Amino acid sequence: MTLNLGYFQGIESSTTEWKTLSFDRGRGAIEVAVPVLSETQLKSLCTRVKKMSQTYLKTIPVSDLVNIIDTTISSFLDRTNPYRQQAEDLLPRITGYDPEMIRLGLTSYLKTFRKVELNRFLSEDFSNPKILDEFQPLPKGGLGRAYGPDLLFHIWAGNVPGLPIWSLVSGLLVKAGNIGKVSSAEPLMASLFSKLLAEIDPKLGECIAIVWWEGGQNKWEEVLLKQADLVLAYGNNDTLRQIRNRTPITTRCLTYGHKISFGMISRSALDTGKSWTTAHQAAYDIVRYDQQGCYSPQIFFVEEGGAVSPEQFAQFLARELENFENKFPSRSLTIEEASSVASWRQSEELKAFSEEKRAFLADPNGRWSVSYSETAGEIYPSGLNRTIQVFAVGSLREVPSIVKPYKAFLQTVGIAASPEELIQLASQLGAIGVTRISALEHMTTPEAGWHHDGRFNLLDLVTVTEVERTAETAAEAFSDYVD
Amino acid sequence: MKFNKQIVLVTGSSRGIGAAIAKAFAAEGATVIINYIKNSAAAIETAEKCKELGGSAKIIQADVSSGEQIQKLIDEILQDFSKIDILVNNAFKPYIFDSENRKQFHETSWNDYQEQLDGVLFSSYTLCQTILPIFKKRTKGNIINIASDLVARPTIPYHDYMTAKAALIGFSRNLAMEVGQFGIRVNCVAPGLVYPTDGSMNTKEGLKELIINQTPLRRIAAPEDVAGPVLFLASSWSGFITGQTLYIDGGLVMR
Repeated sequence: MTLNLGYFQGIESSTTEWKTLSFDRGRGAIEVAVPVLSETQLKSLCTRVKKMSQTYLKTIPVSDLVNIIDTTISSFLDRTNPYRQQAEDLLPRITGYDPEMIRLGLTSYLKTFRKVELNRFLSEDFSNPKILDEFQPLPKGGLGRAYGPDLLFHIWAGNVPGLPIWSLVSGLLVKAGNIGKVSSAEPLMASLFSKLLAEIDPKLGECIAIVWWEGGQNKWEEVLLKQADLVLAYGNNDTLRQIRNRTPITTRCLTYGHKISFGMISRSALDTGKSWTTAHQAAYDIVRYDQQGCYSPQIFFVEEGGAVSPEQFAQFLARELENFENKFPSRSLTIEEASSVASWRQSEELKAFSEEKRAFLADPNGRWSVSYSETAGEIYPSGLNRTIQVFAVGSLREVPSIVKPYKAFLQTVGIAASPEELIQLASQLGAIGVTRISALEHMTTPEAGWHHDGRFNLLDLVTVTEVERTAETAAEAFSDYVD
Repeated sequence: MKFNKQIVLVTGSSRGIGAAIAKAFAAEGATVIINYIKNSAAAIETAEKCKELGGSAKIIQADVSSGEQIQKLIDEILQDFSKIDILVNNAFKPYIFDSENRKQFHETSWNDYQEQLDGVLFSSYTLCQTILPIFKKRTKGNIINIASDLVARPTIPYHDYMTAKAALIGFSRNLAMEVGQFGIRVNCVAPGLVYPTDGSMNTKEGLKELIINQTPLRRIAAPEDVAGPVLFLASSWSGFITGQTLYIDGGLVMR
């Protein structure tokens, strides 16, 4: 029996068209059905979600929302819960990722949305989160209240399990009505999350809808782009440019494009005691979701002068990628993915033959590869799917100037270095547009409240209505109690 | 095809380590007897895989904690195949390895020890008693017992279970000493943490990382890792090796 995904209220399932998506990523073939609403149905859904957002969502305190989301997340963290079990069963079959990776990844990611963490999201952006509930004093004087959009249109992409939950939770916290278009590669988690949330609070469930249409089919997108107050889109730069161009000028469009993230390893992390652990942590960030996240490392810069040389580090890394095949076996790749890996490998292997000071370490079965070089010239993306470049540098301070030309694409840097080095590097990296610095093994597990691409999860979604001091002062004159 | 036409009994081989061993023998042409207690679906699946790999397989249900069922098991094998070449004592009374909720010594009764001695030793003892006359008639035979590296280094002390496994090693050495003159070899393999198996399903990540950090080969064993050494000890390549315990734990323990 084909599982119906997506989620919406107020439209008869029987009058809806459904499209079957088939997946066969080597872990058991599966088919799911996603809803393809007509333009009329979508318009009516927009109206409905907006109305519920205005009449219900905007009237309940943020702390209630936090509790509802927390209850939903607690269910997903409970491995005996049927929704969690469905996710653990289906995500490997849909995405191809190893079941262990999914199991551990889900728990690690969903912990970010427990109550304590949701309060972190709020405090990070609002010094006084009550500003989302009612007018509050502003630091500059006067009063302000933050209003989320009546309709926030999300466009999700890629196959990192649960990615949509980040922006969906952000939308809910600012009391936005949410309609999200899932990616064909991972249509499951947004659907399950919304369904469970709606079971816990049916009226909140009416403020969300999860839909789908074929990529490149503009007519449905037009409906949402016209109806939404705010658009939030993930994807590659071409797609994002098109979306932004088709969004009305009066509607804000927030975009999250592809990024290159990388790691930096100081000689202080390369003594004979700690160097293996450093390689182990670096490898973990590479294998988690096969580098499909914007925060996944594609390059490691390794400093010379430690007890363990950069070349030896590259060898440790290669061994660790092989060891991770035991813990998290590689998924089978699509033709496009395999081709991208193959051409990158070929190119790197050729360089290793023809150029000096290079080495190429690879799994004969093609599941991972490490390209090592002692001359960090131009940088470029890796082939993804467990392909990594390791550059030896005389000093980590050389790195910012090497990566500077790619400022628009930089995001996360994983650093293994001493505290003094960390701060010094952070200021260099911040100056060239890096927006997140983490430890190794944590590049791919951002914390609650993370400023995604340096932006503000919640603040970016709201408008503030301010009552100026002048208005307050003027009103005093008209009160009953004027002497 | 190193084990072409050989009859190999692997107790408790419907899944986990036992199934991995069975499949490895089948891939080398053996006829594997897949003994199971409850999970016939898993046993059938393993048997199918064995056939796909180029060997043959027969599933026989028998609880090897019962002397009677052991006799029936051996009788059925002899009836079908007239011989047994190799015995792998893999089945054990189900034991959950839970480092966070294990019984401490003061909570472990003598009965707990007794149960594990019965569960681990009794079936090995009875199977050996039943099979040895068959081996002796052909002055040829091979017994491999599955012990544990926790005997040499109790990373987590599972008192009752590991005491029984330690006894199994002593049992194997003494038996090796006596039956060597009949041309019969007796050896043990001692895996460390093997994941995933029924017993290790709930092992926490922290413990795995702790073990990995201390393991020269920097990973945890998969069931398939246990198969190779078992096949080595069952083959003529180890023809002059008996009474030994081969540690399969990536070098965590070095004996």
